[in-house]
Amino acid sequence: MAEAIAKSGFTGKDAAHPAKSFALFNRPTAKTGLVSWLTTVDHKKIGMLYGGFAILFFLIGGLEALLIRTQLIVPNNHFIGAQLYNELFTMHGTTMIFLAVMPLNAAFFNLLIPIQVGARDVAFPRLNSFSLWVWVVGAILLNVGWISHFVPSWKFGGAPDIGWFGYAPLTSKQFTPDLSTDFWVLGIQVLGVSSIVASLNFIVTIINMRAPGLTMMRLPVFTWMALVTSFLLVLALPAIAIALVEVMMDRNFGTNFFEVSGGGQPILWQHLFWVFGHPEVYILILPPMGYVSEILPTFARKPLFGYPIVVFSGVAIGFIGFGVWSHHMFTTGMGTVATAAFSLATMAIAVPTGVKVFNWIGTLWGGRIVTRVPMMFALGFIWMFMMGGLSGVMHSAAPADAQQQDSYFVIAHFHYVLIGGATFALLAAIHFWFPKFFGRMVPEFWGKVSFWLIFVGFNATFFPMHFLGLNGMPRRTWTYDSNMGWNEGNLFATCGAYLLGIGIFTYFAVLVYSLFKGQKCGNDPWDARTLEWSIPSPPPEHNFAAIPTVHARDAWWYEKTHQEEIAREKAEHIKAEESHGGIHMPDQSWYPLCAAFGLLVGAYNFAQLHHPLVIAGNQVLGSHLLPAIGGLGILLASCYLWALEGPGGYHLHIAADGKVTESRGDHH
Amino acid sequence: MSSHAATGHLDHHHDHTTSTGIPNKKLLWWAFLASDCMFFGALISSHLVYRLNPPPGNAVPTQVFNIELTSFSTFILLMSSLLMALAVNAIQKGNVKSTRTMLLGTMFFGCIFLGGQVFEFTHFVQDKHMTLSNSIFGSTFYTLTGTHGTHVAIGVLLLGMMYVRTFKPAAGGGLLMNILHLLAVAAAAGVAFIILVPGLLEVLEGASFGAMLHHDAKPLLIGVAALTAMAWFARSASPVVEFGEKNAIDVEAIGLYWHFVDIVWIIIFTAVYLLEYL
Amino acid sequence: MTRPRLDHRLLLRLTSALFAGLGLVFLSGCKLAEVFNLSGNQSTMVTAGPVAKAQWDLFMVTVYVSTFIFIVVGTVLAYAQIKFRAKSEADEHAEPPPQGHGNPFVEIGLIAGSVALLVIIAIPTLRDIWYTHDVPESEKGNAIEVTATGYQWWFKFEYPSEMVKLPSGGEAPLVTSNELVVPAGIAIRVQLRTIDVIHSFWVPKLAGKVDMMPNRGNFVWFKADKPGYFYGQCAEYCGESHAIMRFRVIALSPRDYSLWLENQKQPARTVTAQSLAAATSPATVQFASMKVNPSDALAGSPSFEADPLAAWHAMQQPEAGENAQLIATGRKLFSDKTCISCHNIRGHEGVGITGPDLTRVGARTTIAAGVLENTRERMHAWIKEPNHFKPGNKMWFGGYNVQDGDGWKPNFQVTDQEIDALVAYLHSLK
Repeated sequence: MAEAIAKSGFTGKDAAHPAKSFALFNRPTAKTGLVSWLTTVDHKKIGMLYGGFAILFFLIGGLEALLIRTQLIVPNNHFIGAQLYNELFTMHGTTMIFLAVMPLNAAFFNLLIPIQVGARDVAFPRLNSFSLWVWVVGAILLNVGWISHFVPSWKFGGAPDIGWFGYAPLTSKQFTPDLSTDFWVLGIQVLGVSSIVASLNFIVTIINMRAPGLTMMRLPVFTWMALVTSFLLVLALPAIAIALVEVMMDRNFGTNFFEVSGGGQPILWQHLFWVFGHPEVYILILPPMGYVSEILPTFARKPLFGYPIVVFSGVAIGFIGFGVWSHHMFTTGMGTVATAAFSLATMAIAVPTGVKVFNWIGTLWGGRIVTRVPMMFALGFIWMFMMGGLSGVMHSAAPADAQQQDSYFVIAHFHYVLIGGATFALLAAIHFWFPKFFGRMVPEFWGKVSFWLIFVGFNATFFPMHFLGLNGMPRRTWTYDSNMGWNEGNLFATCGAYLLGIGIFTYFAVLVYSLFKGQKCGNDPWDARTLEWSIPSPPPEHNFAAIPTVHARDAWWYEKTHQEEIAREKAEHIKAEESHGGIHMPDQSWYPLCAAFGLLVGAYNFAQLHHPLVIAGNQVLGSHLLPAIGGLGILLASCYLWALEGPGGYHLHIAADGKVTESRGDHH
Repeated sequence: MSSHAATGHLDHHHDHTTSTGIPNKKLLWWAFLASDCMFFGALISSHLVYRLNPPPGNAVPTQVFNIELTSFSTFILLMSSLLMALAVNAIQKGNVKSTRTMLLGTMFFGCIFLGGQVFEFTHFVQDKHMTLSNSIFGSTFYTLTGTHGTHVAIGVLLLGMMYVRTFKPAAGGGLLMNILHLLAVAAAAGVAFIILVPGLLEVLEGASFGAMLHHDAKPLLIGVAALTAMAWFARSASPVVEFGEKNAIDVEAIGLYWHFVDIVWIIIFTAVYLLEYL
Repeated sequence: MTRPRLDHRLLLRLTSALFAGLGLVFLSGCKLAEVFNLSGNQSTMVTAGPVAKAQWDLFMVTVYVSTFIFIVVGTVLAYAQIKFRAKSEADEHAEPPPQGHGNPFVEIGLIAGSVALLVIIAIPTLRDIWYTHDVPESEKGNAIEVTATGYQWWFKFEYPSEMVKLPSGGEAPLVTSNELVVPAGIAIRVQLRTIDVIHSFWVPKLAGKVDMMPNRGNFVWFKADKPGYFYGQCAEYCGESHAIMRFRVIALSPRDYSLWLENQKQPARTVTAQSLAAATSPATVQFASMKVNPSDALAGSPSFEADPLAAWHAMQQPEAGENAQLIATGRKLFSDKTCISCHNIRGHEGVGITGPDLTRVGARTTIAAGVLENTRERMHAWIKEPNHFKPGNKMWFGGYNVQDGDGWKPNFQVTDQEIDALVAYLHSLK
């Protein structure tokens, strides 16, 4: 009991003094309107912002894919040129990975983790807001090059055109002299900062802010997968961060890390990149495995089969995931022993992955499967992920991979994993948790229509690519000849892509419709199992009137089956918490946004460091050094003021009739 | 928490408000340091990869290094860790005055280390003609040790912020004073490690003291002014400050970082310097 | 609630579907290619050498194992989906089924089963890693070494064991570009080098790809079972025109190969009126007719497609109706337009090394790195507008145009008449 009360507050300092006396800005208190979104520290609002931006970029990335497919619809097409095509596939990959799937996962981390662990916010709410805005800065830096296509006087050289993998020495100043590569390097770097900061926050939240009784082995599987993902991010991103620093030093300060003439070894980039890049694959797919592990039990109406095994296999995937990176490099001449070792390790990682599939099927077995839209996407996930996984096993045979590497077979494989896998699970998750966070249902019929359009369109697009790859079509090629036997496959794939596009459009159009017109719903429309369904839809800012005490895995299912016991417990908790000053909530803040703005100014100018600063046609400065330092100054000053400001906070009081009142000042 | 503070019995090893008993901030720093390990791991690997595959015409490390000086600054950095531990110990006992002294001492040693690095870099470039771009050894060496130096500099900045924060009056207010104070600390530290320490090392190497004073007169005067300002701020500070035993976790968090940076230096010193003398 | 009873009828049907599916895959086996009409020029299924064959056979092992897993797991999944579906609205809201949490024996059994299946893949994988890595010991003795160098965006091939006399005196390895000629039935070991970024050497019918890494001595080996004409392509993204960095491998019978070598070692062919008069050989005709729009039909003409190897042989013969005067004009233009500073024509004026060696360009079946069939019309189009066919190429940026501050300015222009002469000259280089 005492534990439960202690948990209700934040562990930072108390708000003993009026906050504004020691700050530049008054502390924002708006609950609605633009300011409330810009300064929010509420994990639900931050999650929705992540989700909104991510869906925007998901659609942009999809549009880029449709342009790519349109170019390939017939051989020797002249719809778009080589340069633009290269920019499109670079940005399609970068966007889908860093600006769509990762932030969509981050959105669900934000929305769900605090509620699933029975907390009122993340451990560091302002840091959370900082992660979000830094992510926005990274997204801007990556896409700023597109401006050059519309306003030629902005000489960024177009969007990045070095591939999402940016293999040295193509990133060297000698081969890509324009600014697009500099913006790519800094954009990815900034996104890495965002991800690391967010992951640290989630690690602390999951480990340290669990409700009483919520042991690690009672955590919902999604939260477990989020924890593994966060550790992967924290440990994998440094590798690419250092690789990017080295490229940046090469381009701006003349070092020789990847400069062949100076003795550089471009292979080092590949190792550093894939030491990050392979865990990244699991960073993309582990959270979706978590969604599916929540959705399947809900609609099969029975608990997850083999919970401990599912959790351990997730952890095992995380561990082994750090030891298989070189299977992306089977064709780089690593030698027989290294190739054999990575080949076997890659086969080994198939085992825990397969175990998960078996357990999902075990969950369905003996259940009563209710086929709602989220369930359809989840079942689609299992089927498609199984296919993607099996074509992955084919790649583990290194000599066979020598034929498939960089061919359309690989494209088919990873789209089965990333669309059929990650995206299907994300679409399931959006549909599943939409009622929770917006209080409205998405219409079943249109959801099913969009599922079938997406399912058929997806398979029509990517299944033929297996055969295109086996028939020798290399990837990243903007044109192909008519005598290679690739014409029919490409035509078919492009038509499938249009169908997929229509499906995705339908899906999101229905969501927008439901946002305003959807049927209102209660707190638990799916008869689900985890804590988020125990609170109202949409959740109040404090999430829980009383911090729950967890008695079992599937905590909400237990509460539903032990209602009297829980009601008694809750009433006591509310009373106890009120006697300690009410529910402590963190204050909003401007500084995370200010710090991110400083980073934007700094990074934007640093990318063009050696170029003269030209305003309205006149050269103002010989380089961008001063504005870059200015940006750094804004960043540092914001961080300092942020530290001085303190977490602040106010209290909420819940009356017996459920009315919530707010109070400021010292209640201790 | 405030109730604990009132009774004067803070348990610095167990936080009852978290599931694990580890304070959130401490856990955050530990997780961050795990991440930082990977940063340095990647950098040190890059250095060692190129050490094993040197291109023709690469710099010869033993002809470049001044191992005596680096050993000395390594020793200084290790000693700063001792002062850092004493600072944590002092604040856990609620002794703000002693904490300030120890924080200043840690910063002072940190500045000597950084000054040594500035001196070293200057000599390597000017006398030994090893630059970022003329050899792969230069590229990896400067990037690796430079990144470490940046970590130390950030550590000094954090210590300075913590030091200034110990003066934050309990009555509130004083933002402008606080910022001016921090600027004075930053200026003093900056002049110390960019100008003063390298200058004194030049003198040790045989340069004339008078010439150094003359050549760097302006920045040194700024340093003296900053130090005077610091003394004035310290004397005129409000005796009742907000900072106290409850902030032990903040000092401890910076301490974690500082010790980590020291340990990394031991690894770098071994892998980059000592390895060449085997 | 009792444990759900198995529906035997459904199970039987699904099992027979499983066996039918497996049977189909096994039957088709190597015939997959024909079933799906996948025997294109770069098909990895229709192999022409032992390395590619080993790789394809290994791939088929993984296909069998994966298909087996997919059918078994898929059957169970489909069965569970159908069998345990809520049958009606009422069923959805009925009492939940028994809340079982798992069964460790099932889990252990499945893990053991998957490991066993992976071992089936692992054994041939390990064997083939060593086999495909390097030429087998037994064949090392008579293997031929070739060096392939990647350039943005074409390939240079050198024969280190075949030295030619340079006009300036001295010797150098025989050099050719974009069309690698090798003997069939003999192991070829290709040293892979690059002059700029990473490229990858891939001739799907002969061997899987190996990258050309800067500062790394990679190699690949292959053997063509019999004479043939094979398509290859760069398989690592290498910049703007990566898509059209192609090449060919022509495998000849050992006799043809030695004839070819002998011809290659001669200095460039010089055509004069006298030499034309003295020649009695009935020169073969051009085998390709120009298609309407060269850019929309980059591939070969039907006669070429029908038998590319025969077309290649035909290309080795001097063309009918050579005009010594025109050829001499072309040779002079080749110097005047500074082509010689990038292209080598051994025995003539060309001395450059940054572009492809053109000593026998007239005898190649393709130009512009395997992009265009080597006909008069296409070579004309290529010389007229190189950037149209290969965006970003160095002949356009650096040759036709030179850097001028931030932009490019024209260096020289060529008229259609001049191009005709150039084409006549280049086509005389057999």
